[in-house]
Amino acid sequence: MKTVRPYLEIDHVDKVFRTERGAYPVLKNIHIEIDQGEFIAVIGHSGCGKSTLLNIVAGLERASAGGIILEGKEVNQPGPDRMVVFQNHSLLPWLTVRQNIALGVNRVFRHYSPQKRKAIVDEHLALVHLTAAADKYPHQLSGGMRQRVGIARALALQPKILLLDEPFGALDALTRGRLQEQLMQICNTHRITALMITHDVDEALLLADRIVMLTNGPEAQIGRILPVELPRPRQRMAVVNHPNYYRLRGEIVEFLNEQKKLKKQRELNRIAIAISRGNIEKINLGLGFIPLTDAGPLIVAKEKQLFQKYGLEVELQRLSSWKSLAEHIVSGELDGAMMLAGMPLAVSVQSNQLITTALTLSRNGNAITLSNQFNRPNSSPTDQLRNYVLTAKEKPIFGIVHPASMHNFLLRKWLIKIGIQPDVDVELVVIPPPQMVANLASGNILGFCVGEPWNTRAVLDDVGFIVATDVDLYDGHMEKVLGVRHSWAQQYPYTHLALIRSLLEACAWCQKSANREELVDILSRPEYLNMNPKYVRPSLCNPLWLTKEKTQYLPRFHHFLLRNKPCLLEHEWVLEQLIHCGIIDCKDSQGLLKQVVRDDIFDEAIALLDPNILEPEVQVSNQAPETIH
Amino acid sequence: MQSLKVPAPSPSQVDLPFLELRDVSKSYRTAKGNYTVLQGVNLSVKSGEFVSIIGHSGCGKTTLLNLVAGFIRPSHGLVSLENRRITEPGPDRMVVFQNYSLLPWLTAYENVYLGVKSVYRPRSETEKRRARQIAEDYLELVGLADAAHKKPKQLSGGMKQRVAIARALAMHPQILLLDEPFGALDPITREELQDQLLDIWQRTKVTVLMITHDVDEAIYLSNRIVMMTNGPGATIGEILTIPLPYPRNRVMLTEDPQFFTFRNQCLSFLYERFALDVDYD
Repeated sequence: MKTVRPYLEIDHVDKVFRTERGAYPVLKNIHIEIDQGEFIAVIGHSGCGKSTLLNIVAGLERASAGGIILEGKEVNQPGPDRMVVFQNHSLLPWLTVRQNIALGVNRVFRHYSPQKRKAIVDEHLALVHLTAAADKYPHQLSGGMRQRVGIARALALQPKILLLDEPFGALDALTRGRLQEQLMQICNTHRITALMITHDVDEALLLADRIVMLTNGPEAQIGRILPVELPRPRQRMAVVNHPNYYRLRGEIVEFLNEQKKLKKQRELNRIAIAISRGNIEKINLGLGFIPLTDAGPLIVAKEKQLFQKYGLEVELQRLSSWKSLAEHIVSGELDGAMMLAGMPLAVSVQSNQLITTALTLSRNGNAITLSNQFNRPNSSPTDQLRNYVLTAKEKPIFGIVHPASMHNFLLRKWLIKIGIQPDVDVELVVIPPPQMVANLASGNILGFCVGEPWNTRAVLDDVGFIVATDVDLYDGHMEKVLGVRHSWAQQYPYTHLALIRSLLEACAWCQKSANREELVDILSRPEYLNMNPKYVRPSLCNPLWLTKEKTQYLPRFHHFLLRNKPCLLEHEWVLEQLIHCGIIDCKDSQGLLKQVVRDDIFDEAIALLDPNILEPEVQVSNQAPETIH
Repeated sequence: MQSLKVPAPSPSQVDLPFLELRDVSKSYRTAKGNYTVLQGVNLSVKSGEFVSIIGHSGCGKTTLLNLVAGFIRPSHGLVSLENRRITEPGPDRMVVFQNYSLLPWLTAYENVYLGVKSVYRPRSETEKRRARQIAEDYLELVGLADAAHKKPKQLSGGMKQRVAIARALAMHPQILLLDEPFGALDPITREELQDQLLDIWQRTKVTVLMITHDVDEAIYLSNRIVMMTNGPGATIGEILTIPLPYPRNRVMLTEDPQFFTFRNQCLSFLYERFALDVDYD
């Protein structure tokens, strides 16, 4: 139970504007709790109601429902405890810099002596480095300087909260960058509580403790709240070089892009109507994939018209992070997606939206890659890594792609095997696959566990080397699965069966070695992996490059047609790992597994499938997973 | 749209420097003595290349652009286009400014046509028809055929800038000079115009020299990014080649591991190695 009240509470605020054409709802159910000294950035597209929200906090507008509570008291009028800095600085042109600042000070601190008031003005002039320009008029100042006067004027009244409405939006990118650093210093030194509206992603990441992302209006809501776990005090270059930076940035950019897309869709007023064909309840589907080599079955089913063969019209949607993919499934924007082995269970528990999997799409396909610094000739890479980790001053970092991934479990097992304690000796950080190699190259991480083509990319770009593959660690493990909403599977059972059949046939196609070269070509295309085929080929066609000099033939590295029937025991093992790593908490494991893992649907799907399509492997019944060596 | 066709450069032309700045300096006489803006600038731009210039305010970026445009002359050194010294403005080098600079009493079409007329000086009815066709084609190229008869005040900022780009391109310049063309636009419109510019550049193969403050814009669009040191006496500090293939896609660019490296290299130049004192402005 929370006993301490938040410093500032934006309590379930709605805002509806009355217009000639009727009520226009701008904001819906906005709830944010802000602690003292916290810096919150609110980001969203133009017209999403960001400024309206700020005006409500400032007391310049009233909420239609809900309200603002500052230090336990409701505020609905403007006051010197909440000062606003606007984009257009709004200085009085006939007053000097000093006079502009003194205007508010003299009014609010009427009871102070003139000397004391002057001291306050001087102090704040110095704070924004404008002492030398104190007697200049606004028109004699640059845009950046004027905005600094605006900040000094606001802070001089010692507000409880500083409200910034795109304060640097009108400045060029580089001036903006310098002012951001200055504002950050001031806020750090004086522990200022601030709420800033911005549409600049880098600005939000540099300054904020948390970033509130608003969806598009009308009825803009909080889409996500992103905690910015970057150490303070911050320094721009240290921030952008932090291994988390581009992951966090990617999350916001992706959110904004999604909102942009939605807006366009809404403008086109395109209503997707479920068309039924024969007994298939819904034929037009949206499926999500992440650009990885083992997205092969989805991409091949599309390219080889296998979806059509089973009566489906499928649109593939390319997403860059697993987190975003999960959100698209939960929200219903996508019908289904390729998922990491642990995602159906983890997402079911975390989102209250039950996910069902009735098909395993691939097995194996991962590797652990280390930075080249651990590949010196004299001792083994694991010894070099262990020595480095155990003597490091700061906790070194390894990259994984998602907590509920085999990569997480494989990397943990491997680290323990070589005498390194995950979480204790090293930290495991989530980084989207495309950013792994860049982070390894810049020395932000020591290594990672990720799927292809990213290990090969690190090796061929001379950044790292493969120290272990899942063939060594847990051969034949479940890797990617098909995930759909449980409710979706209930609503469209025949669609689900058709989807499983088409993907299974695609899996069979991907498995054939005669098709692998063509698979490389298809996957490499701009709309899929968008990568030079030389990075995609090794893991599919062999040999795999372990280092720039050493290759290895691993015919079993990617399995697309092997025990595709979901295996309860395997998912149970995954669930144990998820609970063990503290990713989810689950009271009724068996109940959950029964709803998530639907081998019965798989059986129904293959019952009517042409047996020639599949090699015998697929009909192998439930088989216990091999243990980890 | 035959008028959009630009003859492909012959192989020998490709290797020759197209735009050249050789040991260029520019100083101004002021009350306090000589003020050197640019010092010892050397740059070769190939035909069809997209080059961005980035640097802090006061680094002489605009001076550099003005030298190429022929608005001013260097105090020392040589600025040449295809081995011809640049001494004055000409229709072979068209500038697009941040503030659009359209004539407010003319429609979008008339603004573009005015430019076409000044270059081609059509006399016969056939020539006039052809000139009108060129103006229409270029408005269509920037996606403004429907807004041809609107006056600037009826157009959004993004549309005005597209008219300005159409006007510049309609005069068939050999090089397009862009002075922070999208600086005044909101982020979404800015991204749309960047995409459109990239598309136009690929279709027309025009050489582009663009000034920007925006690192992401520079990486997304350019073959090379020229980073300027701080003034006075600013010069080229570093040139970063962006070897990513075209056509580029914004989302995929951010998925390329090299993108982060380029971005951090630019940021490091601007905020670490050539950071500007905050009190400068």
